Amino acid sequence: MDTVLLEFLAAPIAAALVVAGIHAYLGLHVVERGVIFVDLSLAQIASLGATIAVLVPALGGDPHSPGVYWMSLAFTLVGALIFAMVKGQEAKIPQEAIIGISYAVASAAVIVAMSKAPGESEHLRDMLVGNILSVQWPEVWTTAALYALIGAFHFVFRHRFLEISVSPEKAAARGVAVRWWDFLFYASFGFVVTRSVAVAGVLLVFCYLIVPSVGGMLFSSRIGPRLAIGWAMAGVVSVLGMYFSVLFDLPTGATIVCTFGLALVVMALVKVVLPKRTLQA
Amino acid sequence: MTSRYVRFLAAPALAAVLAAVAGGATAAGSVAPLKVVTTTEDLASLAREVGGDRVTVVGLAKGYQDPHQVDPKPSFILEVSRADLLIAVGRELEIGWLPALVTSSRNAKVQAGGTGFLDASRNVKILEIPTGQITRAMGDVHPEGNPHYWLDPGNGRQIAKAIRDKLIALAPNDRAVFEQRYAQFDTRLAAAEKKWDAALAPYKGAKLVTYHRSWPNFMERWGLNVIGYVEPKPGIPAPPSHIIQLIDEMQRQGVKLIVVEPYFSLKTPQSIASRIGGTVLVLAPSVGGVKEAGDYIQLFDYNVAQLTAALKQATGR
Repeated sequence: MDTVLLEFLAAPIAAALVVAGIHAYLGLHVVERGVIFVDLSLAQIASLGATIAVLVPALGGDPHSPGVYWMSLAFTLVGALIFAMVKGQEAKIPQEAIIGISYAVASAAVIVAMSKAPGESEHLRDMLVGNILSVQWPEVWTTAALYALIGAFHFVFRHRFLEISVSPEKAAARGVAVRWWDFLFYASFGFVVTRSVAVAGVLLVFCYLIVPSVGGMLFSSRIGPRLAIGWAMAGVVSVLGMYFSVLFDLPTGATIVCTFGLALVVMALVKVVLPKRTLQA
Repeated sequence: MTSRYVRFLAAPALAAVLAAVAGGATAAGSVAPLKVVTTTEDLASLAREVGGDRVTVVGLAKGYQDPHQVDPKPSFILEVSRADLLIAVGRELEIGWLPALVTSSRNAKVQAGGTGFLDASRNVKILEIPTGQITRAMGDVHPEGNPHYWLDPGNGRQIAKAIRDKLIALAPNDRAVFEQRYAQFDTRLAAAEKKWDAALAPYKGAKLVTYHRSWPNFMERWGLNVIGYVEPKPGIPAPPSHIIQLIDEMQRQGVKLIVVEPYFSLKTPQSIASRIGGTVLVLAPSVGGVKEAGDYIQLFDYNVAQLTAALKQATGR
């Protein structure tokens, strides 16, 4: 491995670890709630907001202008509100269905909106979706600051958030405003996903969210150990994926995603072997 | 007699000292070949033509890739970080991936406006530059004009000239080499152009449809008329009304040929072609797009031969 590359990869690696930190935690909630595709859906809703913002001439049509960010955030919050309301009504319709529908409609709406764009729109998608390889230090710092804030919020209310994720019925019975806390969860989650997708791209963010918590579930049924395993896994995979990307000269984001898959297979194999030993011991 | 003898000896000695000073002034840069990185293989081919063994050239996007959409690899950052000269197509072609790459490379020389950066589009003929305010009613436009300008050999010559001037500025000691190699390329290109002109002359004014707006410079060069596009916005399926209009228009004007870039799906063009009994022809928009197109001149050799054969069949001329 070329050591010069390390200098260039320092910011991407730091960004990957920052993303890993908050997503491995949020992933626990997401898996516990059984809303696996909620981040893809929210990311798509955010990108619909951004696309519409770019098409509004008043915002200058620059994909990097702050107006675009705020618009995508506003859309994300509307999405969060929808997801919280559907669950609150305790309808017979599964929440995954609503999430799936939101994903499909938001994706299609992006295509429809782009077809009305005055200029070449093929770049737009690239600009809205980040590439972990091109992350710069200022981006890493602002992202880390934002996630620290949201992480602190979740830490303060960790028992409440855990309760509404794991056993919402019990919480409701005790008089907790589940709908409101659900909205807070999805809104804070939306903040994170909008930012992460802009930094790392959709596929990678999905993996950081789901795979570590599934990895943790393989070995423990308790939240603490699961989180520890998830963080360790996400950290190791981030560095290893970067290394493979350099070693075999492959697109970085996609390589990390494949490394996640590989790591999960290895962990599953270890799980098959491990219990026998621990039982014998 | 003595003074003449001294002068006879002194002249080469002085020349040797001057050369040594000049060599020392440019340091190791003039000894090692210049490291040139280009965004596409077309520019890489032209840089090799002009630079010869005085440069090493790396093209980032492969010819079979859509240059609008390139997924950067770690090696790209490394190449750009070590480049003495970065040559880009410009006109927003690489806007989706190059700016971040250049920033990541932290190579001051190749930043836009730096001494080691060349936007190849600066002295070429650019088509489709919108005039006045861009509005939605104008449809699909590039604010800086069509970026596929290298597909006119006249522009290829201008690009080579710009590369020659840039290389001379960066390595003045090799001026003679660059000038001579450019002149040789110019001669070869001119001879090839005569051949291409002759091959396509019978089809002047022939009409065809292209998938995307990649070919205006190519078609204009040989007087071919593009009457429509299959998918004006790549990746965004054209509305049914557009396809119906296109089919009507092709039937009305007796157009049978659809030219497609290798990285777009053939499904829609083929369904249109089967509706009107036409043919779909895949041409290479870049060096390396097909294996026959190994350099800039071969790119045109290939495309002209393919197009001539298809037009012969389509027009019966």
